[in-house]
Amino acid sequence: MNENIINKIENVISVKGNKKNNAIPILQAIQQEFRYLPSEALEYVCENTEITPSDIFGISTFYSQFRHKPVGEHIIKICVGTACHVKGAERVYEAFKRELKITDKEDTDTRKLFTIEKVACLGCCTIAPVIQIDKTTYGHVETDNVNEIISDFLNAKNNPQIGRIKNFNKNISQGEIRVGLGSCCIASGSQDVKNEIDKTINRHKINVEIKQVGCVGICNQVPLLEVYKEGELPIFYSKIKPEEVNEIITKHFKPKNFFYKWRSNLYNFIEEKIIQDKPKSVSKYESDKRDTPITEFLDGQINIATEHRGEISPTDLNEYKRKGGLKALETCLKINNQDKIIEIIEKSGLKGRGGGGFPTFLKWKIVNQSISNEKYVICNGDEGDPGAFMDRMLLESYPFRIIEGMLIAAFSVGAKKGIFYIRAEYPLAVERINTAIKICKDAGYIGNNILNTSFSIDIEIFEGAGAFICGEETALIASIEGKRGYPSMRPPYPAEKGLWQKPTLINNVETLSLVPWIIKRGSLAFAKIGTQNSKGTKVFALAGKIKRGGLIEVPMGITIREIVEKIGGGIANDKKFKAVQIGGPSGGCIPAEMADLSIDYQSLNNIGAMMGSGGLIVLDEDDCMVDIAKYFLSFTQNESCGKCTFCRIGTTQMLEILKRITTGKGKMEDIEKLENLAHSIIKGSLCGLGKTAPNPVLSTLKYFKNEYIDHINGTCKTGKCTEMVSYFVTNQCIGCTKCAQICPTNAIEHKPYELHVINNSLCVKCDACRKICPVNSIIIK
Amino acid sequence: MITLKIDNKLVQIEKGESVLKAAEKLGIKIPTMCYLEKHENHPSCMLCLVKDSNTGKLFPSCAMPAQENMNIISYDEEIEIARQEALELLLSEHVGDCEAPCRPSCPAFMNIPKMNRLIANYQFDEAFKVVKEDIALPLILGYICPAPCEKACRRTQIDKAVSICQLKKFVALNNYSFENNYLINKKNKTGKKIAIIGSGPAGLAAAYYLLIEGHECDVYDKNPKIGGALEYEILENTLPRKALHEEIKIIKYYGANFILDYEIDKNRFENEIKPKYDAIILATGDLNNSKVKEFGFENTKNGIKIDKNTLSVNENGIFACGNIIRSRRMSINSVAQGKIAAFSASNFVLEKKIQKSKRTFNSKFGKLFESEFIYYQNESTNNFRENRLKTEDLTTNQAISEAKRCMHCDCRKSESCKLRIYSNDYSANQNRFSYVERKQISKDFSHEMIIFEAEKCIKCNLCIEICRKTGNKYGFTATQRGFQIEIKVPFSKQISSIIDATAQKCAKYCPTGAISIK
Repeated sequence: MNENIINKIENVISVKGNKKNNAIPILQAIQQEFRYLPSEALEYVCENTEITPSDIFGISTFYSQFRHKPVGEHIIKICVGTACHVKGAERVYEAFKRELKITDKEDTDTRKLFTIEKVACLGCCTIAPVIQIDKTTYGHVETDNVNEIISDFLNAKNNPQIGRIKNFNKNISQGEIRVGLGSCCIASGSQDVKNEIDKTINRHKINVEIKQVGCVGICNQVPLLEVYKEGELPIFYSKIKPEEVNEIITKHFKPKNFFYKWRSNLYNFIEEKIIQDKPKSVSKYESDKRDTPITEFLDGQINIATEHRGEISPTDLNEYKRKGGLKALETCLKINNQDKIIEIIEKSGLKGRGGGGFPTFLKWKIVNQSISNEKYVICNGDEGDPGAFMDRMLLESYPFRIIEGMLIAAFSVGAKKGIFYIRAEYPLAVERINTAIKICKDAGYIGNNILNTSFSIDIEIFEGAGAFICGEETALIASIEGKRGYPSMRPPYPAEKGLWQKPTLINNVETLSLVPWIIKRGSLAFAKIGTQNSKGTKVFALAGKIKRGGLIEVPMGITIREIVEKIGGGIANDKKFKAVQIGGPSGGCIPAEMADLSIDYQSLNNIGAMMGSGGLIVLDEDDCMVDIAKYFLSFTQNESCGKCTFCRIGTTQMLEILKRITTGKGKMEDIEKLENLAHSIIKGSLCGLGKTAPNPVLSTLKYFKNEYIDHINGTCKTGKCTEMVSYFVTNQCIGCTKCAQICPTNAIEHKPYELHVINNSLCVKCDACRKICPVNSIIIK
Repeated sequence: MITLKIDNKLVQIEKGESVLKAAEKLGIKIPTMCYLEKHENHPSCMLCLVKDSNTGKLFPSCAMPAQENMNIISYDEEIEIARQEALELLLSEHVGDCEAPCRPSCPAFMNIPKMNRLIANYQFDEAFKVVKEDIALPLILGYICPAPCEKACRRTQIDKAVSICQLKKFVALNNYSFENNYLINKKNKTGKKIAIIGSGPAGLAAAYYLLIEGHECDVYDKNPKIGGALEYEILENTLPRKALHEEIKIIKYYGANFILDYEIDKNRFENEIKPKYDAIILATGDLNNSKVKEFGFENTKNGIKIDKNTLSVNENGIFACGNIIRSRRMSINSVAQGKIAAFSASNFVLEKKIQKSKRTFNSKFGKLFESEFIYYQNESTNNFRENRLKTEDLTTNQAISEAKRCMHCDCRKSESCKLRIYSNDYSANQNRFSYVERKQISKDFSHEMIIFEAEKCIKCNLCIEICRKTGNKYGFTATQRGFQIEIKVPFSKQISSIIDATAQKCAKYCPTGAISIK
């Protein structure tokens, strides 16, 4: 090994430490350095730290973030989260493999330019299907535009964009332009919009504040630009493109040069014109107008975890304080009575938002009552459900609120150490929390003797390494301790024996973000919202076949129909509403007929679903429920840690049965076998992952059994189970040759003005021909 | 101290101890595989599931700390089914044979691989004892057995079957060539008297095992010579009579009393036989040519009706074996049945429960993939096969070299494997979950003391924990996760990097045959 490499590793060890529990951060740093884990590097680590070869081998192969083989120059991540799945992610993956000529056994093309991989969820569900090449995210990907994407990426790489332009002097601000820079906003181009705004105001010397805000939640309309002027109602511009920025800005704000003198009716006339001539993709909505998609989307929502949504800049502590931030912490320090604070939480009725719904006060109480000189608070940000991005958005947009929640929790249980456990797939969340922690440290909110009290705390971040199971408390602890993410038996609960065997409070991101509001407004204000057994609000990631997807915060007890029809605007493309999948891989599918069900912990459990962490995927008539069940089961099967028999082998066997059914090889008795096995897995599994893994199968079996029977009888009515269908051209074909041109495998011969024919032995069922056919003459049978 | 109830019995135990420990204290046995005291890998196998009667929920008793006022049910139908399913799931990915395929295909279930290994190791007498445990007439069968075992031999896939039948004949010949060739000791006299009607292969075999058990034995035959079909139907050049007489000599040595030229009709049976004996074994051959047809027992279209497990006819104390049950079967079947009938009769006269002679659970995986030949050939110490005639007697050297071709298809832990023991106890069905294609077998011989067969592993991680606790740098570790988990040694190291004492400990505690002593 050359000296340069040794130096790099030495450096990693000196920064990250040489103890066993430093293994994961060390591996992450090595991978960042070399883009994979060279085996010599790992051996070197073992020789120079307390980490043994057995440890490092076990850990580095457990977490999916780590690679053991060199990768291509660029990495293409294909999101296979739920929203992407229902919109054809699998086909997109196949299309990329075809385009790059990557064979089944490989993951990198022969030029070593691109490595392709599937990822659980990039959390950009509203612009599905999504892919990411290095740091560039592409949304609404189709099988027939992968070619363009690759060339776009390579072009952009060869012509690096001009860096950000500095803002013009802000002395006398004429107003504020707010642009969302959450992960999905960025993915749909908001960074480019932001750059364009910078350029425009610089060019026109407009004195306006450009504010970068967190996720605005209205993900379906992004990039979204909000123009805010003192004394005027804010105006939203949705789905804006960089080339349209100039028009909008110059319309609202007086330029100092040319337009400065133009303040006349004429100007206004021109302006109207400009706006009316704008491309169709941009829509302008005034915030006080009723019945616009924006107001409908925002109506019926209550912002607690997402308070000041779209208004505050994520890492501006002063602004956070101006809007009432850190008041709750001050109150708690003033109360200075842990039991009293816990009582407030108890009376609010707050339950854990991570999925289980365990009363929050009870956890706090147990940790508080445990006698130990060391206690920990962990914020669980290992949001792993495919199709869920609530925690990511909260972490990215409201880092101070979550830190405040954690400070209050720590104070209430007597912890002096806080850890943010954030999953590896959320780099922006890590960055924002990191910045926010630093700012808080500088401002004296983290550290010793906070606000001149005896309360002291240190907070750090632990980055997950790609394992869904680590959302489970005991597995999360194992991974912080530098082990494979195996869960362990509860009891003992982490509240009694957690991290390093010390009492540990683990709360979900959303739970902590609700805490400051409860303290400020009082438990009754919170308890007034919601239902008898489920108080307050719940944040959902609304995605799938819906007109307006996005991040919503709604009162508990809201019905599915209200969410789908009112907030979400109903099903996209006039299709028929079929079901919602709620709770991700531990949840279930609720059929459209039950849309009047109120959403709370109890009612969902009663019908075989689960609150889960808040993924809400809307399905329409084109979705195959057996396929959905198979999708979730393959997710949990793949994410099973493998510790206990029922989960490790049971889910695999269930998946195999489902594979048989979805490829037309199923038998009637398979349904019963599936049901029996599901119940055994629920009974016999060690942790929550296994105990809930069969839910998606059981709930689809309960409400959509006929679809299973159809498959066993040989038909998948939606055509989603590609192995069971073939593509055909009907007589309506006009011989336009579009299908032949787009077909990636030459399965359709190019015959102008003739009836085209699909050669089914070449067809890969990418669906591109059916989409492009102008007369709908291509059908699935 | 914590007080809890298990199966309605109160027990006290230290705080922090598991429910399993508490049950142990009460003498309640809960099956475990992954559990070893003071090791932290458990719970994994989930065999030790018990029920909390307050919540109705199941949990692994090895990991659940005993708590005040717990009310545990250690066994009921639900628990039994759950444990059975845990075993069946584990078996679904367990690619390994408990018994070598030759053994279950032998109607007498003779321990063929064991015989082969003893021959290969010059222990001919020991090999002979192994044969005689299940085959009373090895020399005779050495001539006439069609050897179904050889058709099942894994070697047939690679080159040619091991000549099992000739090896068996070799050990028999070797034994009979000695002056004092009676190796197996008789048990003490029981004072019980049993009649065997018919002196063919089934009758002779039954007589042999009854005599070994210490019973007195009269064998009746309608013909003037002993041997039934062996004497009167099989040609001399197929079965030299010398071989037959050798076997008869031994049975006589053990004390058989032959009554020849004596045909038993219904009258004689009722008046002379039944009153005189404690039990009777019918071994007259084909029912249609036998007076037994008139005795009044229940018959089927093939022969006399028997209980398949005990070979008892529909009258207490009377058993049947051989062609009387079904005609024209292989003589090895008759010999095998002779043993079963003998043990049923023996149990009957000793007033023991007539045990169902149920075979122990046997995991099997079918044919080898071609890529797996190498691992099996590595088990054999001689992969050269010499060409010779099937009828030729083997010389000592030939026998040893032939026995060395055996590939040790049976599991080294076939008797101690917990997976097998519990699969047997819980009547697990290996094929219940057979949706996943079987994994490819590998065997790692690189270590001096142990063999590692990854596909027999139940991923309990106990060996990893043992290696960790003994401070093995390159000890076993788990790679990947979920169904993809594989137990390996780090980097490109071989298992030979595990220190001997640890390796032995791993082999000792590995609940299956995945890690075994060479």
